[in-house]
Amino acid sequence: MFDWFSSLNAVVIDFDTSHLFFPRIVISLLLILGLVIVVSYFRPVMQAIRTGRYQFFVKNADFFRLLMTFALIPAYFWGMDAIGAVLPNMGLGFLLASIPFVFLMSMLYCHDMTRRNLIIIVSNAVITPTFVWGVLYHLFAVSMP
Amino acid sequence: MEFLELLSPSFFLLAAAGSIIGIIFGAIPGMTATMAVAVCLPLTYTLGLQEGLALLLGLYVGGISGGLVPAVLLNIPGTPSSITTTFDGYPMAQRGEAERALKTCIVASLFGGTFSAIVLFFFAPVLADFAIKFSYVEKFLMIFFAMSVIASLSKNILMGVFSGLLGVLLSLIGTYDVSNGGNGEYRLMAPFMEPYLAYGFSLLPVLIGLFGISTIIEEAEKGAREPSLENKVNLNKGKPFRFNIFKGQFSNLMRSSSIGTFIGMLPGIGGSAASILAYTQQKNFSKHPEKLGKGEPEGLVASESANNGLTGGALIPLLSLGIPGDSTTAVLIGAFTLQGLQVGPLFIGENIDTWFSMITALMFANIVMFIVMFYAIRHIAKVVLIPKFILYPIIVMMCAVGAYAINYGIMFDVWTLFLFGVAGWIFTKIGIEIAPLVIGFILGSSAEVYFVKSLESYGEYSILFTKSPIAMVLWGLIVLSIVVSVMIHRKSKQHANKEAK
Repeated sequence: MFDWFSSLNAVVIDFDTSHLFFPRIVISLLLILGLVIVVSYFRPVMQAIRTGRYQFFVKNADFFRLLMTFALIPAYFWGMDAIGAVLPNMGLGFLLASIPFVFLMSMLYCHDMTRRNLIIIVSNAVITPTFVWGVLYHLFAVSMP
Repeated sequence: MEFLELLSPSFFLLAAAGSIIGIIFGAIPGMTATMAVAVCLPLTYTLGLQEGLALLLGLYVGGISGGLVPAVLLNIPGTPSSITTTFDGYPMAQRGEAERALKTCIVASLFGGTFSAIVLFFFAPVLADFAIKFSYVEKFLMIFFAMSVIASLSKNILMGVFSGLLGVLLSLIGTYDVSNGGNGEYRLMAPFMEPYLAYGFSLLPVLIGLFGISTIIEEAEKGAREPSLENKVNLNKGKPFRFNIFKGQFSNLMRSSSIGTFIGMLPGIGGSAASILAYTQQKNFSKHPEKLGKGEPEGLVASESANNGLTGGALIPLLSLGIPGDSTTAVLIGAFTLQGLQVGPLFIGENIDTWFSMITALMFANIVMFIVMFYAIRHIAKVVLIPKFILYPIIVMMCAVGAYAINYGIMFDVWTLFLFGVAGWIFTKIGIEIAPLVIGFILGSSAEVYFVKSLESYGEYSILFTKSPIAMVLWGLIVLSIVVSVMIHRKSKQHANKEAK
């Protein structure tokens, strides 16, 4: 009995594979928990989906603005990297990508496109990134693409 | 008193600026204190340690406090912790007592914030002194206990545990760090990711993505509509504020501030839990419980002193144990790492000047918050009118700057930001909870080191239970937290069933 307990209790961790010891435990626990969650909630969740009580998107979701956000943000990140590669070490990747990004995103989210709002959007798109670039890159020496 | 030499005019200016920027963030519906700290992090990159911390602590205090403005004026909580402020604040404002309600909240916030800073000052060093005795086994159990508390107070215990473990798994991506006694081997990733993920995902881009970008995506999904101003209350009329409104409220202030501070100490529990608990307790102790929710100042006192009580409370486990008390302090841990500081039991003893300057910054930020909000509330009230179409692009821009600069110019960190922004948006929809996930992510790699090294040293699993009396006490607490949470969940289920019938 004692030997049986000792053998269960003993643990030897091989140094060469020690990087996998803890992740394996975590993955096993996640799989067990995932299984318990699926077994416990599969029926009610499926029922909620079928009856429409659960929907992935919010009610009256604005798919246009959502999809455009998904397009604009990566395009902005890609743009600042690409411009930064052409004009390196000046923070211009950030500045030249941020101006059109701020302008386009403001246009996208504005529901009431009046002349006044348009002037605010254009001024904000030019002034804010330039101000941030000036302060952070030049004054605080923060890295920018 | 060497720390006094560290307190330059710029230290106080930055704490004040942080507090004001935080108030503005908090006052805008949908923007939180966490986001304020995350977005302003790049400003601290080139600041000294004291100045950087002063700015961040100011943001924290201001961010939590600012939420009361839209709660009273628009019936929309500016931050989740202001939810109970809407219950009595908005009815008071509708009666023409908006300024009175706002100023009551501001004074209560100052009391809660100061109370918790004092508790932090006296209690954190004691806890840290105690925690110094912890070996790897106790440290692992401490993390285990923190995660069991977070998970057990989640909406769904199973999903809470799952989320925490998922966070731990995400933190293990990369190499098993040689500096922690690991073998330097890669794990949990495809070979082509090795150049990018050698050290895993950077903490701050993950946090900024989960709290900043995902909020923007959520808002875009809802159409980024401006909050309805139909309900907006006029501040220029009504009954003026008098301090005698606090007559008979001392016990309420003390109780609610204590609840806020205590809840803040428990890891991963948001401010909404603190204010809801304080509000419910006030309802139990009130002479006129039926009046609460209809515009009673005592409701405001309970709610606001509790949510500001969080600020010092959440810093206690962060500074004494290295375990963040809420999502904002989780971002703060990133800022500490950035400054080359390791928070944990040794932090206060080894950085006594930093410790004193932090307390000074926290107290000063509370005073600035009070002065700015109390005397300029009419101007701050206008902040709720800043349109989202101006604000959101700026937030994405600041998030990108923060992520890029964190490791001095790594574009992969900016993509991490987007990846976790999208993940955060999806996670909330499928029931994965962000708070346990984040705490799991922050503590996961330490948990691995403590767990594996304990087993390597002793060669038996039972050491986790029998190492010391502290270990046994911690196991007792872990079991207790699970049992209590199961009981609470059962009770609330029964209550819900009864109400449904």
